[in-house]
Amino acid sequence: MSLFTDLYWGRTTFDVVASRRRWFALSAILLLVSAGVFALRGGFDLSVDFQGGTVVTIANPDGASVAEVRDRVNALGITGARVQESGGGTEMRVQTTRLDADREQALVEALAGVTGSDPSDAGRQSVGPTFGRQIADAAIRALIVFLAVAALYMTWRLQWKMALVAIAALLHDLLATAGIYAIVGLEVSPATVIAVLTVLGYSLYDTVILFDRVLESVKERGDRQTLTSIVNESFNGILMRSINTTLTTLVPIVSLLLVGAFLLGATTLRAFAVALLIGIAIGTYSTLFVAGPLYAAWGEREDRWQRVRLRLDRKAGTTAPVRATPADAGDRPRIPSTGTAIPRPPRKRRKSR
Amino acid sequence: MSRRASVITLLLTLTTVFGGLAATLALDVPPRLGLDLQGGFSVVLEAPQDTEADVLDTAVEIMRRRIEALGDVQEPEISVLGERNIEVQLPGVTDRDRALAAVGTTGRLEFRPVLDVSPVPGLSPLFLQVPPEDTTTTTTPDDDETTTTTAPPTTTTTNPDDTTTTTMLDLEELTADIVLPEGVTWCDEVDQPGCVDRQSGLTVSPAPELEAFLATDFATGGGIVYHLAPARVLGANLSDARAEFFANSRGSAVGQWVVSLRFDSLGAQQFQDMTRELARFGFGDPRRQIAIVLDATIQSAPPLGTDVDPNVGIPGGEAIISIGSGGNPQTDAQELSVVLRYGALPVALEQVSVQSVSATLGADSMRAGIIAGTIGLALVSIMLLLYYRALGLVSVVGLFVFAALVLTVLSLLGAWRGVTLTMAGVTGLIVTIGISSDAYIVYFERIKEEVQRGRSLRAAIDHAYGRALRTIVTASSLALVGSVLLFLLATASVKGFALAFGIATVASLFISVAYMRPAVSLLARTRLGDGGRFSIRGATGHPEESVR
Repeated sequence: MSLFTDLYWGRTTFDVVASRRRWFALSAILLLVSAGVFALRGGFDLSVDFQGGTVVTIANPDGASVAEVRDRVNALGITGARVQESGGGTEMRVQTTRLDADREQALVEALAGVTGSDPSDAGRQSVGPTFGRQIADAAIRALIVFLAVAALYMTWRLQWKMALVAIAALLHDLLATAGIYAIVGLEVSPATVIAVLTVLGYSLYDTVILFDRVLESVKERGDRQTLTSIVNESFNGILMRSINTTLTTLVPIVSLLLVGAFLLGATTLRAFAVALLIGIAIGTYSTLFVAGPLYAAWGEREDRWQRVRLRLDRKAGTTAPVRATPADAGDRPRIPSTGTAIPRPPRKRRKSR
Repeated sequence: MSRRASVITLLLTLTTVFGGLAATLALDVPPRLGLDLQGGFSVVLEAPQDTEADVLDTAVEIMRRRIEALGDVQEPEISVLGERNIEVQLPGVTDRDRALAAVGTTGRLEFRPVLDVSPVPGLSPLFLQVPPEDTTTTTTPDDDETTTTTAPPTTTTTNPDDTTTTTMLDLEELTADIVLPEGVTWCDEVDQPGCVDRQSGLTVSPAPELEAFLATDFATGGGIVYHLAPARVLGANLSDARAEFFANSRGSAVGQWVVSLRFDSLGAQQFQDMTRELARFGFGDPRRQIAIVLDATIQSAPPLGTDVDPNVGIPGGEAIISIGSGGNPQTDAQELSVVLRYGALPVALEQVSVQSVSATLGADSMRAGIIAGTIGLALVSIMLLLYYRALGLVSVVGLFVFAALVLTVLSLLGAWRGVTLTMAGVTGLIVTIGISSDAYIVYFERIKEEVQRGRSLRAAIDHAYGRALRTIVTASSLALVGSVLLFLLATASVKGFALAFGIATVASLFISVAYMRPAVSLLARTRLGDGGRFSIRGATGHPEESVR
């Protein structure tokens, strides 16, 4: 049967825990490259909201070229302006250092002249250099509080180890997204901050769904199955959900990206949609391939799971540990076999339904 | 879920949601659009370091009043952000320069001697002048102006009822004959300095060097109108104002609340000159009062104390305004001191961010959002239908229920609580299309799984729901916690996003319980439950066939 039908019927048997070193290596490379590029570039391209300045956006019915607009801006004695075209040339965007009201008005009128549009239709934004810091500070404060609350919530609802792993996966997403931003050279704006916060929320949401599933299986079959195989099973169980949810989330975002950026020339939308696109893809990846295997590897060290493993090995009828499932390849029991019988933990009575 | 319970729940949910939407549409309550979607003007102002919260609140109050005076603003939003920022949002504002002037400058504070007080609240002393029919000489308008200096207007205390009715009847005719003080004219345009409005008889924008007719705040002070002399001391010369409690003031055993004023050297001289002149009038004479005027509104008009020497005045540049014992003297004193301090603030609030979005630009963003949302909704619907077949139908209808619910909630919040939908909010909603379909996906995958494990279709549907709901609740509550925190902690645009996201999360949770379950449960009983390829069975498969 093809991969798709297996996926469709939930019959996939990927052993993600066994192949975890591959995924961890992939993530490590991603993070290293991100950090490297970030360091080389010397940080992000900050939008006007973060570094201060004046931005004028104006329609371009006459189809003026970037060079024409730049000439006109230079003629006003405004140097170092950044002139961009958006919406396939239907709109011009000029970003300069912060101008006072009179110079801003002069710029708007000059632009209206060269593009043939109405000066009152220009979008203007003028930001002082300290404002961005406040936005950033507020966002960082919100992020830290959110992480703390989310960790407590997951500790209460799930397990503290799961909470830590989920936070680690989330930091992974944050770094990787930042890295991709630095690599692609996208501008960081308040919309980006929103996007990143969304991504973090989404990543946690995804991780919670995986761990919720793991806990449910642990309650049901925790004494008959190793943690590794439970995580693997949960991974395969939610794989289709993850793919479907990610697709249904990404489809509207792609539509936002295409409609917003190419059809109607809304530049702020583009940055937002790109950040979401990258982030949600990474968030799904990290849940499935980083958080799950990481938790399995960590949890297996617990006495409880070591005992389960040892008992299952014995039950298989061999003295030397064998591969009960391919999943156990990298996880030989660490408790030396003493030759005495290891008592089976009392089996929980299952509720009759 | 029993059939009966399913039908009732489903009907109830659908009537509530679509009824709500129909009601908001019928009542014409659309969601309130933020200024990035309808165009407008937004300023963020920053106060100097260590500005007190009270001063910020006063500044907001002053701005609100000035913006209302602008006239063409639909529902301004002025709010304090963090410790020292004020955000002013003016949707639909076209006059950029005037809007900037209204929000960008400090209050203008003046101390003016009182010339006359109208006995009737809301009525200008101008309208109490003797009607010109009583004077024997009829003068040309040109002569009118020269006579004002020589013949001071005689005030009559006519029956208030009579006068008010007259003023209401023929204002234009009446004002034509009223004698204005020197240099003061009737208003032709609003910006004219010192001019008097024909309707109210009040000075619109008082010039410090001209006489003025000003009122106390109509809302709190009853709108008593004063005729005031030109300003004698300006707020810039006031160096400090503090509310203080005097334990033992001038022999009275009981303490009282006062506002103590301190002037700089120029202000001290001007204040002494003014008080010396006013002290000539006897106690009880209205002309013994000093009006404290902030932005054309009289904040307070304390009379000079009985012990002020007419030959000296109040020297030393320090004075005390005693607050009467009525009402709440402590609050009154503090409020007055804040007004004085803010009006005297030497530096204007700094504009840290100014943004104007033209109406066409806003409309473009709105259109982009709607198109993107519609395409997204359509594509997701197609995917869900292809993938989950009959169950997909449930989720597609569910997405429309979701959209209707969110739209209704946003409209109502806009009407009741002034919540606006911004571009960030629209994108938030578009993102939640995917997230709200997640609830269905979680549930449907569970149903498939339970069927694959060998349960009957009906049993699988019921059993899967309990498990799916647990997952949905856990994950949604985390999303909700996130959006609440974001809303509380973050700034402007992030707030709009968090709000939309939070509303969508709650709506999607509600729909999982009130719509998804009964809809699937009912569908399973129809031919679409266990029939052809398009049915639920078609999507979940037959476990016995699947054994190879």
